[in-house]
Amino acid sequence: MQYFTQLLISGLAIGAIYGLIAMGFAVIYKSTGLVNFAQGEMTMITAYIAWTISTTVSGNVFIVAIGAIIAAVVLGLVIERVVMRPMLGEPVFATVMVTIGLAVILRSSINFIWDAYPHGLDVGFGRTIVRIGTIGVRTGQIAVIVTLLVLLAAIWAFFRYSKVGVAMRAVAADDRTALLMGISATRVHALAWAASSVIAGIGGVFFALSYDLSPAMFQLGLKAFPATILGGLDAVLGSGLGGLLIGITENLAGGYIGSGMKEVAGFVMIIVVLMIRPFGIFGERDIERV
Amino acid sequence: MPTTIRTPKSSAAPHAMPAPEHLLEFRNIRIVYDNAIEAIRDVSIAVPEGGIVALLGSNGAGKSTLLKAMSGILYTEEGVVESGTISFRNEEVHRLAPDELVRRGIVQVPEGRRVFPALTIDENLQMGGYTKTAAEARDRRETVFALFPRLFERRDQVAGYMSGGEQQMLAIGRALMTDPVLLALDEPSLGLAPLIIDRIYEVIARLRDEMKMTVLLVEQNAQRALDIADYGYILETGRVVLDGTAKKLAANEDVQEFYLGVSHAGRKSLRDVKHYKRRKRWLS
Repeated sequence: MQYFTQLLISGLAIGAIYGLIAMGFAVIYKSTGLVNFAQGEMTMITAYIAWTISTTVSGNVFIVAIGAIIAAVVLGLVIERVVMRPMLGEPVFATVMVTIGLAVILRSSINFIWDAYPHGLDVGFGRTIVRIGTIGVRTGQIAVIVTLLVLLAAIWAFFRYSKVGVAMRAVAADDRTALLMGISATRVHALAWAASSVIAGIGGVFFALSYDLSPAMFQLGLKAFPATILGGLDAVLGSGLGGLLIGITENLAGGYIGSGMKEVAGFVMIIVVLMIRPFGIFGERDIERV
Repeated sequence: MPTTIRTPKSSAAPHAMPAPEHLLEFRNIRIVYDNAIEAIRDVSIAVPEGGIVALLGSNGAGKSTLLKAMSGILYTEEGVVESGTISFRNEEVHRLAPDELVRRGIVQVPEGRRVFPALTIDENLQMGGYTKTAAEARDRRETVFALFPRLFERRDQVAGYMSGGEQQMLAIGRALMTDPVLLALDEPSLGLAPLIIDRIYEVIARLRDEMKMTVLLVEQNAQRALDIADYGYILETGRVVLDGTAKKLAANEDVQEFYLGVSHAGRKSLRDVKHYKRRKRWLS
């Protein structure tokens, strides 16, 4: 039982990171209809910037957190303005190819700007172990699960109650009519890219806190993308929960069946789920393109 | 002899003299899609302040294209205003972004209503008031609910489940949220029951009479439109073939035959219609 709980909690913790990045995918898809294949790379860059702030400016948790959020906003806005906006109105396939190209560029920029060695992000937080009963949990793991839950609630409220949130849903549903109502689609897209970059970036920073920074970190995106598909590409909250599901499945399979299964288990589950619900667990039925 | 044929020049003529103050004016406009398809050819239309102008014509005549140009959303369909101008209050507006046009008071209710189906009625209205401050939006919302009490009753329901008539009311209400000076309606009677159409047209008349709104009405249903309008234009394959006061148009034999379905000569075969159209095209 204790072994199971331990697996469950670490599964939830890594799942929360997948979930955050998956929500990044979903926010962009929901308001622009695009899959951003550079999501994992953007996550990695934000984490590296957080590390740079912690080593050069200050190791204070709050300064690093605020600095990383600002950096993520800027990163999202710049990519939207410079790369994505000129592609507006072009075929979806071409635009998605652009994000793949962007991914490769961002990936190698790590080697140009930083280096190829692994680094630890140390902000004096996250690696202490707390005991709950007989189970040891790292504070970073608790923090990432709490952060995911708080963000899930905040995003739900944002889409439900705020004018801009409702406008994002309106643009996603019918962008031309939204234009007729005076809603600027480009502004909504810019906001989506910034928000997505921040949400995913938070996941990246938490990953760096619990594990390591390395140029291979972009693979988080490859793990998180299935979480989005599982939850529903257009379902932001569903993607968050999809991440948790993948994290738990991975860990339980790795713990009980064998470590080789860990990499595969998530994908096996996705194939099974998509056979039954091709639009994801929480997705809307009428999605027709990926 | 059934027809007197007019050249498009007669429609352009009023602008040759020193123009009276028009709220909205299309002047010698030409619109091209995809750099290849000419949808509108040398069209001039004037909408004076405070009245209802009807834009009539069959499918594909270019009525919706003109409205899209007015709202600045042609670019979403690769369309472009190649030459000519659209002016609103004597300022050129055909290069402005859609949200700027809404801020200036031009709004359109798109064809097929286009309510946001997954949003509630209240949220749909909120989107109409997107360019307004919270206080202004609250005021507008009350005006809309006073006009359409039905929307108030169902304000928390999802718009996609409403009937066609209710959706049309919501679409009009949503447009009114922008506090427009000029309200353009694209086929407001499309797919609605006659009784519902009556209600919609009552509302349009009230908007003109009580709120002093200027209305640009695009319709295939010429009878309805000419009943309410002050002035009308008839579009055919991208150009104005006829214009005049609504009374004059309704009395015109051509219009009666081809748009109002009134015939003086008994039954007509389709061949006559085709022949007439061909002849008219040659002569214009």
